[in-house]
Amino acid sequence: MRIGVYICHCGTNIAGTIDVQALASYCGSLPEVAVAREYKYMCSDPGQELIRQDIRDHKLDRIVVAACSPHLHEKTFRHAVAEAGLNPYFFHMVNLREHDSWVHVDKLAALEKAMDLVRAAVRRVKWHVPLERREVAIHSEVLVVGGGIAGIDAALTLASAGKHVYLVEREPTIGGHMAQFDKTFPTLDCAACILTPKMTAVKGHKNITLWTYSEVQQVEGYVGNYEVKVRRKPRYVIEDLCVGCMECIQACVFKQGKTSDAFNLGLSKRKPIYIPFPQAVPPVVVIDREACIEFKSGKCKKTCVEVCAERNAIDFKQQEHIESIRVGAIILATGFDVFDVSRIPYYGYGLYPNVYTSLEIERLVNASGPTGGEVVLRDGRKPATVGIAHCIGSRDTHTNRYCSRVCCMYSLKLAHLIKEKTGAEVYNFYIDVRAPGKAFEEFYNHVAEEGVNFIRGKLADVYPEGNGGGRLILQAEDTLLGMIRKIPVDMLVLSAGLEPRADSNEVRRLFNIGCSADGFFLERHPKLAPVSTFADGIYIAGCCQGPKDIPDTVAQSGAAAAQALALIDAGVVELEPNTAYVLAEACSGCKTCIPLCPYSAIAFLEEKKARINEVLCKGCGTCVAACPSGSIRQNLFEDQEIYEEIEGILA
Amino acid sequence: MKRLKAFWLSTEMRRKMKFQREADPLWAQKIAERPGCEGLFSCLQCGTCSGTCPLSIYMDFAPRRIIALVREGFKEDALSCQTIWLCASCYSCAVHCPRQIHITDVMYSLKREAIQEKLYPRHFPIPVLAQEFYKMVRRKGRSSEFWLVLRMAFRTNPMQLLGMAGTGWQLMRTGRLRLRQDRIEKVKELQSELAGREVG
Repeated sequence: MRIGVYICHCGTNIAGTIDVQALASYCGSLPEVAVAREYKYMCSDPGQELIRQDIRDHKLDRIVVAACSPHLHEKTFRHAVAEAGLNPYFFHMVNLREHDSWVHVDKLAALEKAMDLVRAAVRRVKWHVPLERREVAIHSEVLVVGGGIAGIDAALTLASAGKHVYLVEREPTIGGHMAQFDKTFPTLDCAACILTPKMTAVKGHKNITLWTYSEVQQVEGYVGNYEVKVRRKPRYVIEDLCVGCMECIQACVFKQGKTSDAFNLGLSKRKPIYIPFPQAVPPVVVIDREACIEFKSGKCKKTCVEVCAERNAIDFKQQEHIESIRVGAIILATGFDVFDVSRIPYYGYGLYPNVYTSLEIERLVNASGPTGGEVVLRDGRKPATVGIAHCIGSRDTHTNRYCSRVCCMYSLKLAHLIKEKTGAEVYNFYIDVRAPGKAFEEFYNHVAEEGVNFIRGKLADVYPEGNGGGRLILQAEDTLLGMIRKIPVDMLVLSAGLEPRADSNEVRRLFNIGCSADGFFLERHPKLAPVSTFADGIYIAGCCQGPKDIPDTVAQSGAAAAQALALIDAGVVELEPNTAYVLAEACSGCKTCIPLCPYSAIAFLEEKKARINEVLCKGCGTCVAACPSGSIRQNLFEDQEIYEEIEGILA
Repeated sequence: MKRLKAFWLSTEMRRKMKFQREADPLWAQKIAERPGCEGLFSCLQCGTCSGTCPLSIYMDFAPRRIIALVREGFKEDALSCQTIWLCASCYSCAVHCPRQIHITDVMYSLKREAIQEKLYPRHFPIPVLAQEFYKMVRRKGRSSEFWLVLRMAFRTNPMQLLGMAGTGWQLMRTGRLRLRQDRIEKVKELQSELAGREVG
């Protein structure tokens, strides 16, 4: 056997700690090593050419590259090896950088460790057998989960590329949080004006199947071939028959709404039969089972049914049902939850009526909001002084450590809108104003020039003014003055941060993807694969990946759509061959492996033997380790390969 | 409180400029390694500590600025200020701090350091009281309010005794203030126990 060993300097990343010349000459002395070289950047084109040339000149039949993590360049080198006519799996990679040079300071010890690691690889690679990658066909449909701006944009992009999209939204309408906003920073264009055209485009697009009031219940399968079950909740109104005339809402026996309106964050009341907002898509009403008299007692006059007699769209007997679909790729755009400000009791939310969350103010300044766009307190007064407290629930180890990224800018926007609508004196309490986006700094400057006050200090305490006038005293250190300030205000706005959805953990399990420490969905690589996940064929877009503003969300949803398109347009997907397989003659049929497999890839055959579906298997090795009779083996991780590697390290 | 304000006004003028040679980054490092002071360098300078502190309105440097001074290694300013002595250990700052810095513990560390380095404000009653109290307990094993107040007043502002005389007399007459000073039996044992643990 003729083995070639290649040591990468990785600039100074490896060579700065490990004496690569000494390592290469040591490797040259190992049995069966025909060539051992070191080179500045093995991954560069000349570096790869070095390998290809040596394979041809020296008739090498096994290759070891000691460089960075296989996550980064295993593919590169396998490709180079294959180009030279060798089976790409006659190659093994040693991670000298992450496992050695980056984590050690003692140069001599690092060199010794490098020798151990390379020796192990040289002994292992001898036992590698030729393997083939498999191809499987891909379904061209895409599932988009979440109908906020991210989901809408991704769905529209894919649909216009001619792919069929299933857009699943939990709420009765698409639009997400953006539909609740009034204006958008920094340009102050009206959120509804730019969002609703996209919402109607979704409704009208022939390539989009829109399922609102629906949730994904089950996901099975693998990249290119996901089988998804979607639970469609009953809205007690037949979607195809309802035209959104809303006469039923008028006719409802409730003269006034009695149920807290979630879309307006409880600032108004709605009837049991309702539509979340006038431009809702689909424009179909919903009946709230909990509030409707017919559901509670069965003794309602059913005026809604009377008025809808012609279309007969109301159906109290509607049942939830499950739709099953097959898709090739999935885009998750499940968005965020607003931080619950009552978790920080000393800001007095819920205790003092004039403390509001920022999203409540969005509804108050919105022309279609509960006050028709008037910024008034709960008692109807117009506020003369308003405090806006930044960083509520963000940058705080008691709540969320991260910066929610959008609060500074939306606080500036709200400051501007409040000042414009009421002429009030506005005080912003901030730690840092983060305005790094395009035209953000200019907007900040514009708001400051309008006369909005900026106090550099986090709001520390809130208490009512002693005279019982209902005003609140805001106490904070003005860190720039070095003084404690006590400012009486009529209204306090808490700029709440963004959080992962309360059920994001269940969702990530459902789709078999990961979360980062802050609870947002984890991308495959923070810089180079920001919309991919560790599950092939599942992409993430928008705030489910981390807090971001609308431009970033739309950019990301476009990227996710492009990734999905690149996958499904190829028609086939190549699967890695590092899968497990059962030696049928040795299998005792004990079924130990079946419940352990995280990918449900193991089936039990009639002849009482286990069989692994190579397409579903991800090569995690759980079943291989668990099999009591040792009858499950794994490609690239054969016993002999592992024993040789261990002995190589210990030798 | 009036008296505190008078002290605040009487502090000498401070130069509003720092040369880098006045900074001692190693000292900052040393303080940050003390138990309870670990979070020092994660401070955001958001001012929540000063904002919630019930006494910050009387301090020469609010707690946030103490953290900033310590971090930058401006040892003399941090140790000679009145702030650390005004801290009432209510822990409000530590509870509210978004970085969970144990600011009260930092204050204690600085107090010990200020006595050790003899940088505490000479005529400020609180450090004087702390020292006199310790001395008395070390010598006798017990404290006596009469002598403690007397010593503190002599070292800070003897004139204030005139104002206190009436009250003092009333207290003595009713047996609330005694001239006699108690001592414990085995003072020597206590002293050997305390030996080597003193900061001052």
